[in-house]
Amino acid sequence: MSKSTFSTVYITVIVITFLMTIFPIFEIANRAEPFILGFPFNFFWVVLWIIVTFALVVFLYFKDPDRHEREED
Amino acid sequence: MPHWQIALVIMIGYLIVALFIGILAGRGKSGSLTEYVVAGRKLGLVVTSFLMGGAVFSAFSFLGAPGWAFERGAPALYIIVYTAFAILPWYLIGPKIGKIGRKYDLYTLSGFLKGRFRNKSIPILVGIFSLLAFIQYLATQMKGMAYIFNIMTDGRVPFWLGALIAYGIVVIYVATGGLRAAAWSDVFQGLLMVIISWVVGIAVVMQLHGGTTEMFTAINNAQPGFLEIGHEGSTMSAVGYTTTILVSLIGLLMWPHLFSKSYSSRPVTIKRTVLVYPLFSLFLIPLLLAGYAAIGVVNSGEVLPDEVLPYLITNVLEMPGWLYGLVGAGALAAAMSSADAITHSASLEFTNGVIHNVKQDLREQTTLLIMRSAVVIIGGLAYCITIFGGQGLIALLLGAYGSIVQFAPGVYSALYWRRATAPAIITGLLAGTFTNYYFQLVASSTPLDIHAGILGLIVNIVCVVVISFATKPQAAQHANAYVGIK
Repeated sequence: MSKSTFSTVYITVIVITFLMTIFPIFEIANRAEPFILGFPFNFFWVVLWIIVTFALVVFLYFKDPDRHEREED
Repeated sequence: MPHWQIALVIMIGYLIVALFIGILAGRGKSGSLTEYVVAGRKLGLVVTSFLMGGAVFSAFSFLGAPGWAFERGAPALYIIVYTAFAILPWYLIGPKIGKIGRKYDLYTLSGFLKGRFRNKSIPILVGIFSLLAFIQYLATQMKGMAYIFNIMTDGRVPFWLGALIAYGIVVIYVATGGLRAAAWSDVFQGLLMVIISWVVGIAVVMQLHGGTTEMFTAINNAQPGFLEIGHEGSTMSAVGYTTTILVSLIGLLMWPHLFSKSYSSRPVTIKRTVLVYPLFSLFLIPLLLAGYAAIGVVNSGEVLPDEVLPYLITNVLEMPGWLYGLVGAGALAAAMSSADAITHSASLEFTNGVIHNVKQDLREQTTLLIMRSAVVIIGGLAYCITIFGGQGLIALLLGAYGSIVQFAPGVYSALYWRRATAPAIITGLLAGTFTNYYFQLVASSTPLDIHAGILGLIVNIVCVVVISFATKPQAAQHANAYVGIK
């Protein structure tokens, strides 16, 4: 994967996951019930997407062509 | 020994350890400008992530997050959302800013914009705006520390004294040790705060309600809509919620103390810091739970929202004295880890943005002296605002955020847009800041309930684009010096 492709993929991934947590998309999860794992549904939804984002970004990190970028100084 | 005495002893013990770590970290390093401002540009992963995290775990999160959950319900989720997502752009822009910084020997946000746009007014404006925002932000942290001392000792340490003690320590170690001192004490403070928030958050929920399901069911039955956003019974509209997230999210990396970490960390460190960061936001969950737990237990008229967590611990729960003290220490840690980074950065932005552009050719030692004196003066100003000003913690922070976010069009244009010109950036910055202040201070409401900072940003971006195309393009080599860096 080239550097610019990586940037595009990275931006696309974080924008999509972020959109899940704000309106208008957030409205589909914006309910108190059912409670999941002791949390209101919207609370659970937000935590779920943060974990998904975390997993995706870790995955992308290992695909990053510049991961081992050397220091110039 | 009564509870307040144990608490006081633990809090003082904490302050001594923090002071010790700060001074020790700065000792033995060269007294050069590069060491003071960017710690020689070589901070490791643990230190960098805690420096970035410490800034998020502020008095705002320790006192403000439970306050929001208690008073406003579901909209408090905004804190978790923006904390998790705001750092992610850093993965791409951080290494690039770092390279530019190493190439042109930069250490501030104002220096960064000056280098690209070749204009003195921009760094001076950025220097002044950041100074104002920093003083407000700092006042928030000091207020937080003062609350803690005051409440935890049953009022025996007065408000003015509590703020003074904790702040004195920050000034001492930032003025002497620079970034490295701030960094190492942040590692210590960050760990302390994470552990304490989980212990306390869980203890509070268990003791008062028996579990989160019971707690949320009770809240939902008593106040339908309170656990949702924008519905009947909710305290915030959908647009208000979304734009509040956006303003905090875009603004986070524009805070000069976080922006300039791009200079002090290597690219791989920046990337790994971004990786672990979303998890930091989950550390805030127990603080929200503690705020929810207070609903129905504490009357909302009885206590200010920002004081609900310390109030719960001192007046409602049965907790041993040492736990009291630990909570106090955790909150102090949260406030101080933000205060040190802010103070350090405020002195840098002011010196590099304003002084260096008004009076050139300062010797390195003179620059260092000005930076160190600025630490003391900025602290003093914030202290006065803390004692004499009277707004709520979060209004202060969101107000400052609204102005800082106006740097974003300039920063992103500097990095990626060759056609952007200096007059456009200046006009955008001024128009955006003016719009934000108008809607925040003068107007009683905003159109569609959009956050004032976002309205400012819209005006700002329109100015930048329109005026850039109406003015003469920048010399290609200047634009390329930034945009062309891979």
